[in-house]
Amino acid sequence: MKNYFDLPGDGGSEVAAQVAEQRRAVKGRLKHLSQFVAIGSGKGGVGKSTVTRLIALELKRRGRRPAVLDVDFNGPGQACLSGLTQVVPVPGRLGLTVPTDSVGVGVLSLGSLVPETESVEFESVVEGESFTWRSIREFSALSDLLASTDWSPFDVLLLDLPPGAERTFQLAEFLGPDCGLILVSLPSALSLSVVARAAAALSRLPNPVFGYVENMNGYWCGDCRKVQPLFQSHPETELALPRLARLPFVASMGDARGVLNRVPEVLQEAIDTLCGNLLADCKPDRAGDRS
Amino acid sequence: MKFLCVSCDEQMKLATTESDPRGSLAIVYGCPSCGNQISMLTNPAETQVVSSLGVRIGPSGQEEASKCPFGDVVREMGVEGADNTVPWTAEALNRLENIPDFVRPMARQGIEHYAKSNGYKEVDELVLDEARTQFGM
Repeated sequence: MKNYFDLPGDGGSEVAAQVAEQRRAVKGRLKHLSQFVAIGSGKGGVGKSTVTRLIALELKRRGRRPAVLDVDFNGPGQACLSGLTQVVPVPGRLGLTVPTDSVGVGVLSLGSLVPETESVEFESVVEGESFTWRSIREFSALSDLLASTDWSPFDVLLLDLPPGAERTFQLAEFLGPDCGLILVSLPSALSLSVVARAAAALSRLPNPVFGYVENMNGYWCGDCRKVQPLFQSHPETELALPRLARLPFVASMGDARGVLNRVPEVLQEAIDTLCGNLLADCKPDRAGDRS
Repeated sequence: MKFLCVSCDEQMKLATTESDPRGSLAIVYGCPSCGNQISMLTNPAETQVVSSLGVRIGPSGQEEASKCPFGDVVREMGVEGADNTVPWTAEALNRLENIPDFVRPMARQGIEHYAKSNGYKEVDELVLDEARTQFGM
């Protein structure tokens, strides 16, 4: 009696071939990009969305054409940061048109399409089992977004990833080896320990990890015009990655609505260095401090 | 998944797929040698696993199983979708088909509202291009 491997093909629906075609469609949409970078962490609340926004603003200032895809479907921060909180999605000639904010950065976020009072629910035919499908559906939606959106007006695509070390790993795997990563961490022992785990997991993948951004390493005091310490002690945990930038917390960042359209002056030099390295396609060398 | 006709030791070929509104699929395979047919019946949970991948189940040419992972989500959010009072041209519909599944109801509703507000009798590509400009894209 023949076994599974004796029989050619995959049974008729060609599911594997369809999934492969989905991947090819995504790759085809993104092959023109000069930079394809995901900003992740593993830890929540470290400022991934803000760092993503700052990088996009600086790249725009440098004459690049950046777009940001908000991959955190149920915690989308890019809509607020960009001011694109109510957008009608419009089909262009080559797919979904990416909305552009007032400073010319493309931003695609569910936060622009879904009201704050709603959440993205993953229904299941079996009551109380939506967690079973969530991952598959999220990745299916992400694949559809990447493959059905017209990214051609942009030359840099930044992805603002959701928190979670495991999700960071899964997304990096899904996005493929062409997607580089920047991790964000607070300088606290708690944050560094979680991000270290994410970095360890990512080391098993072919994705280039450019380094990490140490966010909120202090706070900018507008009165004394200095960065004051925010964390009491220097943690022993260190990430075995290049530190790309050290950014203090700036209370006055963004306007009253939370819209961030300009890199604060106090952060300009650090962000400038970070983006300079990014555009130079810096390779992870696991040594040295590039900040 | 593949099916083997044990009597003939031959691979069975996928014949048809029929869906049940309750979420089950009947996937029929036939033996090219003896003609015997079997039907694999999926429960709704099994159907949902595969359809969540956004793939077609069954031979090409058959009606595609819904691949929108947000189909129910959109209804939950209260986006009723188009009220179909503004017709779309074939070219405009073609553009709509090329955007992500789960965004289509929102796009259709917003664009039809724009069209009606501006006195357009139908949505064509010019209306879409104008809407893009209007919405700052």
